[in-house]
Amino acid sequence: MNFTLKVWRQRGAGERGRFVIYPARDVSPAMSFLEMLDVLNQQLVLKGQEPVAFESDCREGICGSCSLVINGIPHGPDRGVATCQLYMRRFTEGTTITIEPWRAKAFPIIRDLVVDRGALDRVMQAGGYISSNTGGAVDGNTILIGKDRAESAMDAASCISCGACVAACKNASAMLFVAAKVSHLALLPQGEPERATRAKALMKAMDREGFGSCGNQYECEAVCPKSISVHFIAAFNREFLRATVAEPGPLTEIPSDPHAEFR
Amino acid sequence: MTRLFTVLLTSLGSKVVVALTGLGLAGFVVFHMLGNLQVFEGSESLNTYAAFLRELPILLWSARVGLLLIAVLHVGLTIRLAIHNRRARPVPYAVREYRKASMASRTMALTGGLLLIFIIFHLLHFTAGVVDASFSDRLDPRGHRDVYGKVIHAFQNPWFVVLYLAAQGLLGLHLSHGLSSSLQTLGLEHPLLNRLFRAAGPLVAGIVVLGNAAIILAIALGVLRA
Amino acid sequence: MIALDSKVPSGPLETKWDRHRFTEKLVSPNNKQHIKIIVVGTGLAGASAASTLGQLGYHVDCFCFHDSPRRAHSIAAQGGINAAKNYQDDGDSVARLFYDTIKGGDFRSREANVYRLAQVSTQIIDQCVALGVPFAREYGGQLANRSFGGVQVSRTFYCRGQTGQQLLLGAYSALCWQIERGQVAMHPRTEMLDLIVIDGHARGIVARDLVSGKIAVHTAQAVVLATGGYSNIFYLSTNATGSNVTATYRAWKQGAAFANPCFTQIHPTAIPPSEEHQAKLTLMSESLRNDGRIWVPKEASDRRSPDQIPEAERDYFLERRYPRFGNLVPRDVASRAVKAICDEGRGVGPVGHGVYLDFSDVIAREGLGLVRERYGNLFDMYQRITGEDAYEVPMRIYPAPHYTMGGLWVDYNLMSTIPGLFVVGEANFADHGANRLGASSLMQGLADGYFILPYTIGHYLATTKNGPISHDHAEARIAADRVTMRTTKLLQGNGRRTAASFHRALGRIMWNACGMARHRAGLKHALQTIPPLRHDFWREIAVPGSGESFNQELEYAGRVADFLEFAELLCHDALHREESCGAHFREEHQTVDGEPVRDDKGFAHVAAWEHVPNGAPILYKEPLTFEFIKPAMRSYQ
Repeated sequence: MNFTLKVWRQRGAGERGRFVIYPARDVSPAMSFLEMLDVLNQQLVLKGQEPVAFESDCREGICGSCSLVINGIPHGPDRGVATCQLYMRRFTEGTTITIEPWRAKAFPIIRDLVVDRGALDRVMQAGGYISSNTGGAVDGNTILIGKDRAESAMDAASCISCGACVAACKNASAMLFVAAKVSHLALLPQGEPERATRAKALMKAMDREGFGSCGNQYECEAVCPKSISVHFIAAFNREFLRATVAEPGPLTEIPSDPHAEFR
Repeated sequence: MTRLFTVLLTSLGSKVVVALTGLGLAGFVVFHMLGNLQVFEGSESLNTYAAFLRELPILLWSARVGLLLIAVLHVGLTIRLAIHNRRARPVPYAVREYRKASMASRTMALTGGLLLIFIIFHLLHFTAGVVDASFSDRLDPRGHRDVYGKVIHAFQNPWFVVLYLAAQGLLGLHLSHGLSSSLQTLGLEHPLLNRLFRAAGPLVAGIVVLGNAAIILAIALGVLRA
Repeated sequence: MIALDSKVPSGPLETKWDRHRFTEKLVSPNNKQHIKIIVVGTGLAGASAASTLGQLGYHVDCFCFHDSPRRAHSIAAQGGINAAKNYQDDGDSVARLFYDTIKGGDFRSREANVYRLAQVSTQIIDQCVALGVPFAREYGGQLANRSFGGVQVSRTFYCRGQTGQQLLLGAYSALCWQIERGQVAMHPRTEMLDLIVIDGHARGIVARDLVSGKIAVHTAQAVVLATGGYSNIFYLSTNATGSNVTATYRAWKQGAAFANPCFTQIHPTAIPPSEEHQAKLTLMSESLRNDGRIWVPKEASDRRSPDQIPEAERDYFLERRYPRFGNLVPRDVASRAVKAICDEGRGVGPVGHGVYLDFSDVIAREGLGLVRERYGNLFDMYQRITGEDAYEVPMRIYPAPHYTMGGLWVDYNLMSTIPGLFVVGEANFADHGANRLGASSLMQGLADGYFILPYTIGHYLATTKNGPISHDHAEARIAADRVTMRTTKLLQGNGRRTAASFHRALGRIMWNACGMARHRAGLKHALQTIPPLRHDFWREIAVPGSGESFNQELEYAGRVADFLEFAELLCHDALHREESCGAHFREEHQTVDGEPVRDDKGFAHVAAWEHVPNGAPILYKEPLTFEFIKPAMRSYQ
C-alpha cells in the first residue's frame, strides 16, 4: 500500500512547528501504524535526517505512551484502541494521513509528536492516592466489597493515562481522566476516608495545570482507548458537590503534612 | 465565605453555577413561552395576563432583578470559563473530526453570545418599545396596555419574523445541549434514566421553539389578526 | 575477585526471615532524613521500593526513562499475582507455594529466598487492597481467585486482564503520595547510563536527561536498581520496545556479578511475526491451549490454506508426542516442540514462523457461543492484529521471549556483590530459579519492593559510615566522562546501518543459538559472530542529530550497544551450563524421548559472572543446597 504522510515536525517547545510531507511506499497491510512510522524513520536515519519523534513502549495498548492524532482523531479511526493497536489495513490505499501531536497548553510539545504529559502526574500527586503506609494493612477480606462495586471501580481504574481525552476535548479538559481516577478510589471503601479532600484537590490541580473545563460533549468517551464512560464525569461532579456541601472540612487549620512536627 | 469563593472559582464550581442559572433561565423561557401562547386566546386574554404581571411592582421588579442576576452570573462565569478553555488549546488542530460532540454542543459560546444580543434587542423592542417607531403604546378597551396589538403589529413585519425565527433556532440549539449538559454537570445521571436526561434538552428545546414559532408564524401567515 | 556470600540465616526455614529482621540493625528516624537513596526504575519493584523508603523517612531520588513512572512495563502483565492466602481452602499454604516455586524453578533457586517470598506473598495482597487495587471479587464481596499456570490450587488474584496495570497503579499512587510529601524526587525521562562506585561502594549513578541531553551525576548513600529484564536481546519479544539491559549491564561492568543470564523464559502462545519490520510480539493468554488443538501440515512447505488440508495430512504433533498431556504440556516443552517443527520447514503463515491453533473441534462440540463467551476478547485482539477471524480459520501462534529469570546476583538482603548496590524485581536473579511460574513475577516485584528491601537496606545504611559525596568527586567525574565518550562515539558512526538493523541481526543470532534450545556448536558459533557484528555496529551505526537534545535514536543505539556486549555473556553462561533445566534446554542433555536431563551433581549452583575488562568473564559458583526439599525430576510423557 502507498500513502502520503503529513507529519507535524517541531524541534522543541518554544519553536515553530510545521507539517512535512513524506511518502510511505510499499506498506504492508499487516503493519501496525507505528511500525509504518518505524520504517519511515529508518529511511530518514539512513539519509542522515532526524527521525520523526513519537512515543510508544508496550505496543499492546496498556502503557499509554503512544499519542498520535491521526486524521483529526486521537488514536486514529478505530474505536477502543490506542495508536499502537492500529493497523494499516484500516486505511484506504493512496490517501493522505495527517499526523499531529496531542494539542493542549497543559501538554507542551517536547519534539515533533512527543508531548510532556507531566501535568497528569502532577494531578495524581495532588491527591490521587490512598494515604496508606506499607505494612499493617488489614487482611484483604476484612472489608467486603460487592462484585458490582468492585467491577465499577475496575471500569474507572482501567484508565491508561494516555491523555486522549484531553486531546479530543474541544476545551482540552482532563475531566474524564480526573473523574476516572476519583471514581475508582471513591467507589472503594479504602478510598472513603479521603474521598472529599481528594475530589477537591484533583479538581484544583486540573485547573492549575491549565486544562479547560468540561463541556459535556462526550468526545472524550468516544476516543478513549479503554472506552471509559462519561458516567464517571457525572459521578465526579456529584463527588465534588458532596465534598463541598457535606464535608467542607474542619474549622481549624490542619498541617498538610502530618509528619511535619517530627522533623 | 472565602472557601465558598474558592469552590465557585474552580472550573467545576463555576460550571455548577452556570448549570443552575442555565436551568433557571430555561425555566423562565418555558414559562415565557406558555404565557405567550395566550395570544391564541385573543387580545383580552393576553392583555389581562400582561396587566396581571405588572399589577404587583414588587413581584415584577424582584423577578426582573432576579432574572438579571441569574443572567449576569450565567453569562459572566461562562465568559470566564470560555476564556480559560480557549487558552487551554493555544495551537489548534489542522485536521479535526468529531465523533460524538454535537454541533449544538460545539457552538454553545456562539449561540449564547448571539442570544444575549437578541435578548437585549427583544427587551428594547417589546419591553422598552424603542425599536419599532411605527407602533405607539395604546390602551385596549378595558384600559390595559394593548400588548396583543403590539405583538400582531410586530410580526406583520417580515423582517421581525425572520429575525425572531432565527433567534428561535439559536435558542433551540443552545437549550438542546445546555439543558442536558446542566443535568450532567449537577451529577443528575443514572443508568436507568440516562436516556431521559439526555433527551430532556432536545425535547424541551423543541417544545419551546415550536411554541414560540407557532405564534410568529400564525401572525405572519395571517391566522391571527388584530 | 568477588566473594559470593549469600548471607542466608541459619536455623529453621520458617523462622529465618523473622530472626533475620530482628538481628538487622535499624536506622534511627533522625538519621534517615540525612540519607539519600537512588531508585532506578519505577515498575512494581521500583515504585513500591521508592514509595516505602520515602514513607520510612529516607530521601529518595527516583529515576525512569518513561515520561511517567506509571508506564513501566510491569503494566503489561495480564494474568495475576500469586499469594498463599488459601482463601479457597483448597490446600494451599506458604509451604506449598514455596514448594511449587522451587519445583517450577527446577531446583535452581535458593530455598531461603523462595520461602520468604511465599511468606510475604500474603501481605502483598493486603497492602494492594489497602492502596485501592480493584481485585476481582466474589458476589459476597470476598476476593476471587483463579488457578493459573498449571498449579493445583487457586491462589492467583487478578484484575480482569490487567492485573499488572492495577498493581502498578497502586504502587504508583503510593509513590505519588511520597512525591507530594517531598520524600521522593521523581526524575522522569532520565536514563541511568552508569554506576558510580567509590571505595568499593555504590554511591551514585550517571544519568542522561532525555529531553535536554544533559549528562548529570547523582549521588546517594545507596543505589537500588529495579530496571527489569532483558528479553529484548532477542529483538522480538513480548517486552515493551524500551525495555533494556543497560542499567544492570553497566553495573556488571562496574563489578556486580551477573547470575544465570541464560535463564530466559519463552511463552508458547504469542501471535507470530508477520513481516520483517514487526517491532514486538503480542502475548495471547495460555488458556487458549485448553480448547485449541495445535497442528501443522505433515508435508514441509505445504502452502495450501488450512481448510484445504484434509485431516489425514495434518500433524497434531503435541498430541502425537505427548499423549498424556497433549496440547497442555508445560510452556517450555510446547515452545520447543513448536520451534522444532518450524525449523523443519513445516511452520505456517507468511514467514513460516507459526503453527495452527485450531478451535473448529471445540466450536463443533460446544458451540460458537460458548467459545465466544470464553475467548471473545482474545479472538477480537487476534483479529485486530492479524486481520483474520479465528472463528473461521485456525489461529496461528508462535513462542516469544517473555521473562528473564537471570539478573544481577544478590544475597539474601538483595544486595549485589557491590556493597550499597541493591537489585530488586526482574533485574535480580533471585527467586525463580531456572523457570518462573505464571503469576509469580508480580509477586516477586512487590515482595522485594514493599517488604524485603526496605528492611535489608536499613542494615547496610546503619552499619556503613558513608559521608556525603560531592558531584565532582574523581570517580563520579570518571563515570560521567565514560558516558559522555560513549554517547559521542555513538554519534560518530559512518551512518550506513540503523540501530534497529543491528538489533534485528543480533536477535536472529540469539534466537537461533540461545533461544528455546541451545547446543554447544551453536553457542560457540554465536560467540564468534557477535564480536564482528559489534565491530560493525560501532563503525557503521547511523545516529543523526546531537547528544544535546531529545534524540530517541541515540537512546536506542546505546541500548543496542549494550545488548551486543551482553549477548556474549548470555552465550557463555548457556555454554557453561551443561545440563537442561527449566527454561534452559541443552540439546546434548536430553533423553531419547526429548525430555530434559538435569544434572544436580554438576550444576546445582548459581552461575555468577564477573566482568573482566578486555577478557572473558570469570565464573563463580554459589552452590545450592536443598535442606528442606529433595530435588525431583519432572515428566510429561
